[in-house]
Amino acid sequence: MSALSFEQLGKSYGDVAVVNDISLTIREGEFVSLLGPSGCGKTTILRMVAGLVQPSRGRILIGSDDVTALPPNKRGLGLVFQSYALFPHLTVYENVAFGLRRRKVAGAGLDKRVKEALAMVRLADFGQRYPRQLSGGQQQRVAIARALAPRPRVLLFDEPLSNLDAQLRDEMQIELKRLQRGLGITTLFVTHDQGEALSMSDRVGVMAKGVMQQFATPEDIYHRPATGFVASFIGKPNRVSGIVVSRAGKGGVVRLGNAIELPAASLDQPAGTRVDIIIRQEAVRLLSDRSEPGGLQGTIALRSFSGSRVQYVVRLAGGVELVAETASHGPNAALAPETPVVLSVDADSVFTMPSEGAGA
Amino acid sequence: MSPDRETHPGLGVTIAAFAVIVFLQVPVIVVVLAAFSTTSYLTIPPQGLTLSWFGKVLSDPTYLSAIRMSLILAFGSTAISLALGVASAYALFRRSVPGSEAIISFLMAPLVLPAVVIGVALLQFYSLTGLRGSLIGLLLAHVVITVPYIVRSALASLSGLDLAVEEAARVLGATGFEAFRLVTLPLIRPGLVAGALFAFITSLDNVPVTIFLIGANQTTLPVLIFSSVEMGVDPSVAAISTLLIVATGIILLLAERRAGFHRFV
Repeated sequence: MSALSFEQLGKSYGDVAVVNDISLTIREGEFVSLLGPSGCGKTTILRMVAGLVQPSRGRILIGSDDVTALPPNKRGLGLVFQSYALFPHLTVYENVAFGLRRRKVAGAGLDKRVKEALAMVRLADFGQRYPRQLSGGQQQRVAIARALAPRPRVLLFDEPLSNLDAQLRDEMQIELKRLQRGLGITTLFVTHDQGEALSMSDRVGVMAKGVMQQFATPEDIYHRPATGFVASFIGKPNRVSGIVVSRAGKGGVVRLGNAIELPAASLDQPAGTRVDIIIRQEAVRLLSDRSEPGGLQGTIALRSFSGSRVQYVVRLAGGVELVAETASHGPNAALAPETPVVLSVDADSVFTMPSEGAGA
Repeated sequence: MSPDRETHPGLGVTIAAFAVIVFLQVPVIVVVLAAFSTTSYLTIPPQGLTLSWFGKVLSDPTYLSAIRMSLILAFGSTAISLALGVASAYALFRRSVPGSEAIISFLMAPLVLPAVVIGVALLQFYSLTGLRGSLIGLLLAHVVITVPYIVRSALASLSGLDLAVEEAARVLGATGFEAFRLVTLPLIRPGLVAGALFAFITSLDNVPVTIFLIGANQTTLPVLIFSSVEMGVDPSVAAISTLLIVATGIILLLAERRAGFHRFV
């Protein structure tokens, strides 16, 4: 059963389309993220769902109701803002009660539901405080309680964690996910942070320039990116300009720089096209056995230690550099600069996208 | 050298600043002192000590009706300016009207135009439309000169507002008007109180516009003081001025207490 769906949803300002006819169905209880760089249209979609921006085209359905023309107060949604947008002149209690009062909940019923919502975010004792007396993380939780209290049909999040520091952000991710699971509430989450999107979501929609690039499970997004953009946006990619040398079936051969040729399992462009070649850092493997066939000869240019992983910048023939990543306690964890190495790249981890500057 | 010394002004500047303050405040003190003199003319230092001039002005029907008129105008024009000013500032701030910059300048114009020019212009306009000498005409004139204070303070308060709070209220089920009344209005209230007090005092104390438009048998307090001084001064003028000073002082004190007035001046 679908909880939220878009049919050919689009938004233009003048001639500029910021959201390009997107159709999407979110199931009851599902956690869906919209992921993309800033300006990709993800926040516009969220604001159209909330009723704060009027779509230029298409329809929005909540359950089976067409809400496209409804004002925001008639849609029965919860929205958590990036800035939290708490009411500074009201106590935490009154902030949470605000949506309930608009729905004419009063008396003991109101009190019970406000306290329930505050307990859910572990702020039961903070009702009489004002927002300015709370830390950023606590304000965030009040915003969530306020959105949840009226029991919305769909919960919307607009980059809710981006104002928190890294450690708190990780904690909130887990807490949010647990809360969402527990309530079984359909959730649409907008973020530019791929870690957030991949770890929390049942499905992720990756967007670029108003177009939905791929809508799939986090595993599919990561391992089977549908477009070069998705490959370049997710994970830590190498990006090297090159050319499609030949095509064979779905795949073919690409050339990096002048000399290095690699097989690619899946290519979108015909032979001869200038492209950007995208290879994930963890798909570039350092071979222990230097005599393995198909290996790329190179030397270590730079080593960088980041805790559990080590990154090497490896210089290959023709000056092409690739970053290879490996575990920091493995056999190749301590290679010095200028050490000769051999790299191998899986054909199904090589992706291409239109060359930057060569036009889309 | 300590940073304190560097930021501390020199002795000359301190003396000059002090002299300016004294120069500005001495006339006020003189007027207050003169109100207590037993002589029938204004004199400093006051001769003797009496409250009879206060009794005289407060029982003089001319003064009483002028006070009443001034309060009607001040309260009326402040209320009308608040309603109009807040509504227009809100619309202008949300950019829901084209040419908002031009409209703001237009609304602010009475602040920069010489009051006499406004007075003359309105006089001609009222003569043509038959509003001259009417209470409505006078009230509207005061709205024209007080509305900029409301618009300015409302715009300043709105610009410090996170627009998302109103959107949050909307998504939580508030209608557009409820969101304004329950969220936006309380948040801009301190600024509006300050603007309203400015407007009130501006109306209460206006001579140059009022004097052109006032009817034959009506007058406001500042206009009455102005014409009394022309005809010859006795300490009753000083007494009524003292009352005006005290009233203004109390209003400003309340405003500071209630709204942190100093932040908006």
